[in-house]
Amino acid sequence: MTALGDVLHLLLTANLWQATLAAAVLLLLPALGGVISERSGVVNIAMEGMMLTGAFFGVVADLALHNVWLATAVAILAGGLMASIHAVVSIQFRADQIVSGIAINIFAAGLTVFLVNRIYGLQDVGHLGQSDLLPNLDFPGLDQLPFLGKVFFQQNVVVYVALILLVLVHVVLFRTRLGLRIRAVGEHPSAADTAGINVFVLRYGAVISSGLLSGLAGAFLAIGVSNTFVPNMTDGRGYIALAAMIFGKWTPFGAFVACLIFGLGEAVYANNSTIHISPYLLSMLPYLLTLIVLAGIVGRSTPPAADGLPYVAGSE
Amino acid sequence: MPLGSVVLAFVIGAVIVTVTGDNPFTAYAGLLCGGLGIACTEGENPALQISTTIVYLIPLITTGVAVALPFRAGLFNIGAEGQMLAGMIACTTIGVVFKDLPAVILLPMVLVAGMAAGAFWAGIAGLLKATVGAHEVVTTIMLNYVAQWLLRFLIIGGPLQLRSGTSKSLTIGQGAWLARVLPNDNNLDILGLPASVYRVHTGLLLALAAAAIFAFLLWRTSLGYEIRAVGQSQKAARYAGVSVRRTIIVTMLIAGAFSGLAGAIQIAGVDHNLTDIYFTDTTGFDAIAVALLGLGSAVGIVLAAVLFGALHAGGAVMQADAGISGNLVFILQALILFSIAANFVGQIRRLIPGLGGAPAALPPEAPPAGPMMTEAAAPPPQTP
Repeated sequence: MTALGDVLHLLLTANLWQATLAAAVLLLLPALGGVISERSGVVNIAMEGMMLTGAFFGVVADLALHNVWLATAVAILAGGLMASIHAVVSIQFRADQIVSGIAINIFAAGLTVFLVNRIYGLQDVGHLGQSDLLPNLDFPGLDQLPFLGKVFFQQNVVVYVALILLVLVHVVLFRTRLGLRIRAVGEHPSAADTAGINVFVLRYGAVISSGLLSGLAGAFLAIGVSNTFVPNMTDGRGYIALAAMIFGKWTPFGAFVACLIFGLGEAVYANNSTIHISPYLLSMLPYLLTLIVLAGIVGRSTPPAADGLPYVAGSE
Repeated sequence: MPLGSVVLAFVIGAVIVTVTGDNPFTAYAGLLCGGLGIACTEGENPALQISTTIVYLIPLITTGVAVALPFRAGLFNIGAEGQMLAGMIACTTIGVVFKDLPAVILLPMVLVAGMAAGAFWAGIAGLLKATVGAHEVVTTIMLNYVAQWLLRFLIIGGPLQLRSGTSKSLTIGQGAWLARVLPNDNNLDILGLPASVYRVHTGLLLALAAAAIFAFLLWRTSLGYEIRAVGQSQKAARYAGVSVRRTIIVTMLIAGAFSGLAGAIQIAGVDHNLTDIYFTDTTGFDAIAVALLGLGSAVGIVLAAVLFGALHAGGAVMQADAGISGNLVFILQALILFSIAANFVGQIRRLIPGLGGAPAALPPEAPPAGPMMTEAAAPPPQTP
């Protein structure tokens, strides 16, 4: 019972919710990318690889330039570049999008370590100083609010950016003509094409956006949360983001709720010393919860109708 | 066509090696020696290299079959990795708990336990697909990670841990060990090395048998007919009286049993315990490349497994001898996947007249992928 009491007490601390939000944002960025890509009809299981690519090139750039903003830009672009391979292969060449996604993940894992070995030998990549990391941003005044100050106004700069992007993606997808077009292309591409919408351009844009967002997540991971690159450092986060996207029924805010739930699990573990559950068992939770959602126990989760279908102009 | 994809991948790989400042010929010579024991210059023992390659290719054949069979039913099993880990866990658990039983009982027991666990793992995905339509790609990805974290839990602080501070499990009883091809003897000299370094084991026969069973099942049984019918068209199969749901579940169960067998063979034949090397294992993903490259046929799968087994074995030698990162192998593997999936070779042939490419206006149409969760994923080329 004391363990339960400790957890309840923990749930009332600002530290926990501060950590939850940060952990959730790390998942939210690639999840938003997944939402955009799949809403346009391109299945994307490659966020893991795009995020890893961003993490690696962000660290390389930061070590070389000692400018965290340029390094973040490099990370974002690297993620976008990786995504453009997925775009070309699956939109232009109409390859199976799942195979292409798997290939991206294998390619990113192989390429990053290959380049680590090439540039830094078999040793460590090297660690970045505090001044080369993405900084925390405290809002003067607001950050002194009890509880809320710590949770919402003493966070890493990427957290604020991600929350803005969350609103932005929601508004664009559901309140603008562009969003309507993206969704039309994902639901019924030939009808959209007939209506004069360029299916290919929209899908390219959506897939590359998912890479840019995943690249930013990679930067947050490697040069924000951590200060170096370690092989395979994303450790399945891109797949948890995929889970969050499905959990959230392909909507930005739904995905965010899922990310918060997954992030809370991570934060509870990191911030408590009384419950002794294996961290490895806790790490299963996002995947198990998603399986439960998929089993239809908490309502169906249905993807866009043309998700995964390559579009051939003039077909059907 | 698959051969062309491999060649194209190696050409692009050579470009990547060159651009990053190494000699591609040195790299590929290292791969050739490490993978096939050919053209070794640094005093590597060719026989040992071949032995290592065979050890690598055994699980690739079995998991390759586990991906190829659902392909025929229009199902994309990305979960061979998780199913294999489930098989490893079950095999080790039984092998540890009943470690004193004689081999005649224990060995079949651990193999069957592995198959059952793999079948259970894949069966979850099959059941969810058949009942609520949950896409098997997504569910098998989730199940992969559940298995991976379960493995970490079990051998780090969990009930199978050897002792605190280690990240490996207890060792399975000797009765559960698959025999090696050569005696595990330090004094017996085979081709200049002690016989004990050659780890080739009799699991190879089981893997080849799995490939043969796969082919027999697919082409000589009514279940195989049903699997292929469902893969061609669920609607048509339904009109022909085939229960699509039942076929989906049974297909996934059998595929999982193959993957689970791969895991059990690996533990019984090579490791004899669970270790942290399987935290980052990629066999189940390599299996996808094996199944695609092997065009879903038993012979093709064995040949593709030889290629990827040789690549993985060769990567280590290339890194040691030529100083080029063994991760080049993963780059090559990804390039092969891109190349097969996008049919680059076909596109190139179309662009260059006189290469035998048909002057068709459109590239050969890939089988249409169904929308997620309602229809099946893209089946592989329907070549027997």
